[in-house]
Amino acid sequence: MKTRWEIVLLPSFLLVGLLIVASQYVFLKGSFFKDLGLGRINDTATFVNYIRFFTDSFYLNTLWITVKTSALAALFTLILGFPVAYLIARMRSKWAMILLASIVVATFVTIVIKVFGLIIIFSADGLINQALMGLNIIDRPYTIIGNQTGVVVGLMHFTLGFGVLLLYSVIQTIPRSFEDAAQIHGASRWRMHLRVLLPLSLPGVTVGALMMFNMCMGAFTSAALLGGGRVFTLPVLIQRTVMMEIKYSMAGTLAAVLLITVLLINLLSIYLIHRLKSARLVIA
Amino acid sequence: METKPTNKVQLGQTSSSITRIAARRRSGPPPRRGYPWGKLGHYIYCSLSYIFLLSPMVVVIGASFHGGEYYTAIKFPPDDPSFQWYTKIPTAQFEALALSFGLAALAALGACIIGIPAALGIVRGVLPGRSVISSIFRAPLQIPAIVTGIAFLQLYYLFGDATGLYFQGTFLGLYIGHLFVATPFVIGTVTAILQRFDTRLEEAAFSLGANRWSTFWRVTLPVIKPGVYAGGLYSFMVSFGDVPISIFLTSPGFVTYPVELFYGMENDFDPSILASASLVIFFCLLVLLGMQKLVGLDTLLRSGSR
Repeated sequence: MKTRWEIVLLPSFLLVGLLIVASQYVFLKGSFFKDLGLGRINDTATFVNYIRFFTDSFYLNTLWITVKTSALAALFTLILGFPVAYLIARMRSKWAMILLASIVVATFVTIVIKVFGLIIIFSADGLINQALMGLNIIDRPYTIIGNQTGVVVGLMHFTLGFGVLLLYSVIQTIPRSFEDAAQIHGASRWRMHLRVLLPLSLPGVTVGALMMFNMCMGAFTSAALLGGGRVFTLPVLIQRTVMMEIKYSMAGTLAAVLLITVLLINLLSIYLIHRLKSARLVIA
Repeated sequence: METKPTNKVQLGQTSSSITRIAARRRSGPPPRRGYPWGKLGHYIYCSLSYIFLLSPMVVVIGASFHGGEYYTAIKFPPDDPSFQWYTKIPTAQFEALALSFGLAALAALGACIIGIPAALGIVRGVLPGRSVISSIFRAPLQIPAIVTGIAFLQLYYLFGDATGLYFQGTFLGLYIGHLFVATPFVIGTVTAILQRFDTRLEEAAFSLGANRWSTFWRVTLPVIKPGVYAGGLYSFMVSFGDVPISIFLTSPGFVTYPVELFYGMENDFDPSILASASLVIFFCLLVLLGMQKLVGLDTLLRSGSR
């Protein structure tokens, strides 16, 4: 009966650990060297790429746009997703399964196809523009390609399915009887939401929101296709720096900044959640 | 927690007042579901979310049946419905689909082979710093996907310069990258199931004379099966739809389907990708229905929750 489970774990741990350390080490180290063009790299370590990043307003602006669009997308995903997750989690009929299944399908279909659909919907002679122009609300086709709104919408399509599934599993862990109890004791529906459901779901919701934010920060496809070469987020810029400018070191620097920003924002949020918990604003 | 109403009842009140309160409660309105804007408002709100979420896919499928000429080929709602684009899907797209499918299936398999022992170790092992180890296993999900892509590309360059074996643009190179992001999903779902696992089942198998392997195959694996299916499905789909990693690790003539589609949309746009994209949507639907038959959607999602 004495199976040494920690030995069972070892091969997997070594493999995953090796891949993490090797891959992260290589590009982080590379980010400290200067590009000589055509993929060649100088062999003395400097901070020149980092200095360039933090002194060039273009790069700083890119970082700001990345964080802003990701945060907005995560926020709007919560706003759109939470009521849906709540509806499915509290539904008793067979419809719940169908509603859930369509969310899962939407999650699984690759984002490229969804962005494709978005482009068709918002094209100059697409449904939305025809309707809006037919009603004389706008006199010129509105496009989401090449502006930040488009990028946020694209990112939301990337995260919304995942988000609803995550929130669904969070809400499911909160017994329905808590809500009934609050209402029997005379809480209004809003009050029940604010005083019972929100505090109980907040830890899960925060983790979910962070996960969506992380996904958006690394999201390349929707930002590249809907940014249309005019809106640059860090992932898009990283791909361009590698594929078009062939500057591996600068790309490594951009990737390092992206990685560290994500880590810092995550740590900060976790810290804030702990503070909230100790201030007893959050139960559980 | 609001305890005032119960206190009032508990502290020295006569039984008649209790029955009076109870009667008032019973005659009062039954607890409503907690929809702040009322049921109708909530349904309308959720319908809008669903329209937002599903419309791109509906539009792609709809537009794929458009029967127009090449340059007016994208139109929704479609005129003159036909299957013309379905017959014009170039072989390159089918090759890309086959590559993506094979890659995703193998990534899911590999993720199970790495992930199941890891989950067993995390839950049952005597580990110093268990939370650190499990967060290392989950780290590939925290690393932005684009960073993973460029990191593996540079790792392969360095490895190639050192050994002469270049992995970029090869199946193995692509596979390692996909495996890296697929594994945490299996670990997550299997860990969730193992935490509720009754180890007495295994003890019973042992005491009845089963050895370790047959205990694993005939007791442990069947119990954790929903978690394995759920994790395998997630990792399959993540690999099947990935662009940011694949775009660095593929090469011309050797591309996965999402990357082919990505380049198709950036450069030479061919309406037949509407048709193949619709096929992929139907395929995802089929996979889901299969999973529903196999383990049930509810079990699938419940084991996916952390």
